[in-house]
Amino acid sequence: MRRLFLLVLPAILSCGGGGSESSAPQRKTIIDSRDTYDPRSMDPALSTDVPTGRAVAYVFDGLTRFTPDAQVVPGLAKSWDVSSDGLTYTFHLRSGVKFHDGRPFTAKNVVSTFQRVLDPKTKGGRGWPLYPIKGAEDYAASKGQTITGLSATNDTTVVITLKEPLAIFPKLMAMPVASIIPDNPTADFGQKPIGTGPWKFVEWRHDDYLRFARNPDYFDGPPKADSLMARIIPEMSTATAEFEAGNVDVLTVPDEAGKSWQADPEKNKLLSSAPALRFWYVAINTTRGPLADARVRQALNYAVDVNTILSAVMAGRGAVANGVAPPSLGGFDASRKPYGHDVAKAKQLLAAAGHPNGIDVDLWAATTDQSPRLSQAIQANLAEAGIRAKIVQREASSVREAARNGQADLTLKEWWADYPDAENFLYPLLHSKNKGAGGNVSFYSNPKFDALVDQAHHEQDESKRNTLYSQADALQFADAPMIYLFFYKDMYAIQPWLHGFKVPAVFSGQRWTDVTIGK
Amino acid sequence: MVAFIVRRLLLAIPTLFGVLVVVFLLLYVAPGDPVQEMVGERADPETIARLRKELHLDEPLLNQFAHYTGGVLRGDFGNSYITQRPIIQDIRERFPKTLLLAGSAMLLASILGITLGVLSARNPGGWFDRLGLGVAYLGISFPVYWVGLILILVFAVILRWLPPSGYGGIRYLILPAFALGSRSIAFLARVTRSAMLEVLGGDYVRTARAKGLKERVVIVRHALRNALIPIITVLGLDFGYYLTGSILTETIFSWPGLGRYVVNAITRRDLQAIQGSVLFLSVVFVMVNLLTDLAYAKADPRVAYS
Repeated sequence: MRRLFLLVLPAILSCGGGGSESSAPQRKTIIDSRDTYDPRSMDPALSTDVPTGRAVAYVFDGLTRFTPDAQVVPGLAKSWDVSSDGLTYTFHLRSGVKFHDGRPFTAKNVVSTFQRVLDPKTKGGRGWPLYPIKGAEDYAASKGQTITGLSATNDTTVVITLKEPLAIFPKLMAMPVASIIPDNPTADFGQKPIGTGPWKFVEWRHDDYLRFARNPDYFDGPPKADSLMARIIPEMSTATAEFEAGNVDVLTVPDEAGKSWQADPEKNKLLSSAPALRFWYVAINTTRGPLADARVRQALNYAVDVNTILSAVMAGRGAVANGVAPPSLGGFDASRKPYGHDVAKAKQLLAAAGHPNGIDVDLWAATTDQSPRLSQAIQANLAEAGIRAKIVQREASSVREAARNGQADLTLKEWWADYPDAENFLYPLLHSKNKGAGGNVSFYSNPKFDALVDQAHHEQDESKRNTLYSQADALQFADAPMIYLFFYKDMYAIQPWLHGFKVPAVFSGQRWTDVTIGK
Repeated sequence: MVAFIVRRLLLAIPTLFGVLVVVFLLLYVAPGDPVQEMVGERADPETIARLRKELHLDEPLLNQFAHYTGGVLRGDFGNSYITQRPIIQDIRERFPKTLLLAGSAMLLASILGITLGVLSARNPGGWFDRLGLGVAYLGISFPVYWVGLILILVFAVILRWLPPSGYGGIRYLILPAFALGSRSIAFLARVTRSAMLEVLGGDYVRTARAKGLKERVVIVRHALRNALIPIITVLGLDFGYYLTGSILTETIFSWPGLGRYVVNAITRRDLQAIQGSVLFLSVVFVMVNLLTDLAYAKADPRVAYS
């Protein structure tokens, strides 16, 4: 269904030229068009998907928060200290902050919020950002009455003791799931959220839009615009039409349309790009048959022509990966070359591994977005090197389940970072602790790699940590537990009357506080 | 008549129970589960196990089925696993919007389709008939999402007469109703035409003309009335289809109806939401079929239900 829509897209885009010259609209509401499905809830404890995370970041604050360009800055905590052993974080909270219903925010809210996120009765499903806290996992398993490592020493101080040192902990505190909510939330809190954030929740028409109003008392200065609306538009061609009609202010330009928009001088002026922390790769299950041999996995990498795929399927939107650390973050090593396209070398490696006649593998891919086209391109490339890949196309949740259970040879995946740190790629995707559900669907296990990542977790010094990241990255890159495809680059179109908008690197990093609408 | 309705409603019960069993079993054997969807890309086996327990997904199939059916009998469709909202509330918010869209599409299709068909039948082989045939073929051949996108392009982006998508007043309704109804317009036009041609050759039409009635009266009162049965069949089938199958139209026009809800539920493996909406839509389908049958009797006195 989706692919058929895409055939029609060029027609829409080439004929619809009249749209971009429209003058500034009279409305005072900023209208976003990026959500493609209804958020799960407005309850931070349930923020496991992108639309939910975005909306939660408007209404709520965490102890820390992300800026659009992926910095972590103070949120409800105005500062924090780390003990010399890296185990204890003391967060100094802002005083005088009020929830939208007028109740004051205090340190106790932090404790009760985190307990609620971990409580199995909440049925949220995302406890892991809090698991580094001592006693958090026991609490989630109903083995403790309190989270032992979490306490409010007075109204403006929260002391958090970790199980083991984790230098990136403040970044986890900026995730939507760690947003602070008031005490005794109502049963329909997910429908009528109350936070401390820059936007007050106004209205939610399911599958239609969410509406927010400026919080004039926001502690960090109120948003410059009057109100904000997040429309839910499932079809990209429709969102594009809405943008052309001037009804929405920002648009994620569909991949298929990217080149024609860049070529059009009027539209090109509206475009804004930024590297997104989104990584496309093919997980190779390192425990299955011939794939257990690193030479075979390297052969897979040499067989795939990532450059051509990137330009043909993704309109060149992205950077070829030379590991899992993205170019925009610390730990990226520009000197390491990607595998490159070398069919002869792929065949040679396969032969050396004892497969002169090639191998047969399954390639699992979802039915959504670019997965079908990417998997077909990869299949064709692999065939040239004698690797016969059978595409298994299923719905995303089925693909995920098969990969988690270790039933797939190869799985085409896209990873969205939750927080801007190379650790968010290295640890979940490849650490042996995270095999299966944790994100390591390559079932990669290398004690040396694990040790480097563990060491980075403990390292407080950022530059030393980055060195450890790049060492770990180099190590796994040689082992090739995946086919490294590319880091995606977002392309937004922004109406000429919108000012101050920055394309966010992390999906929850744009809170619209500095954005204005007008001439 | 009343006995007929009661009998039909009683017959619907085993049908609906069958639907329930089939949906339940299908979802059970299909891969993917709501917990995988709830936890997202990064989780741990313990969390997944705890959630499965919390949602009773770890219980034997029969227990789950009994638990669910018990709820349905009490009128409780349960809460969505994913969003935690009551399914009944979700359906209540969305179904009126789907009904509005489907109803408008059918109204538009009936007016345009029957008119086209009658006019074509008046002079078979004439220029209007051939034009009508062409239009009908186009209408049947173009898929709804294509029609939808073209409508958006022409009327919303280029001409700026109507909004491209969304839900609101009548301005928001026109394009999706037309897109959804386009296939029916074409189909109804063809069915009306052939039914009319058959009827217009009848003796009573000749008699009506012979006694000097105006052509308009002959066509509308004598001929069309007798051509109604196949038209009602098509209307009934299409209406049921629209209520349950306007997914594409709702997606293209960002119309917040039940079709999109079901698709979302399916992609997220939200078992309660899928079961609840399928059951609800089955009830709707049964009702529409019943109403169609009753309409037959209204249109043709020879059809009697007892």
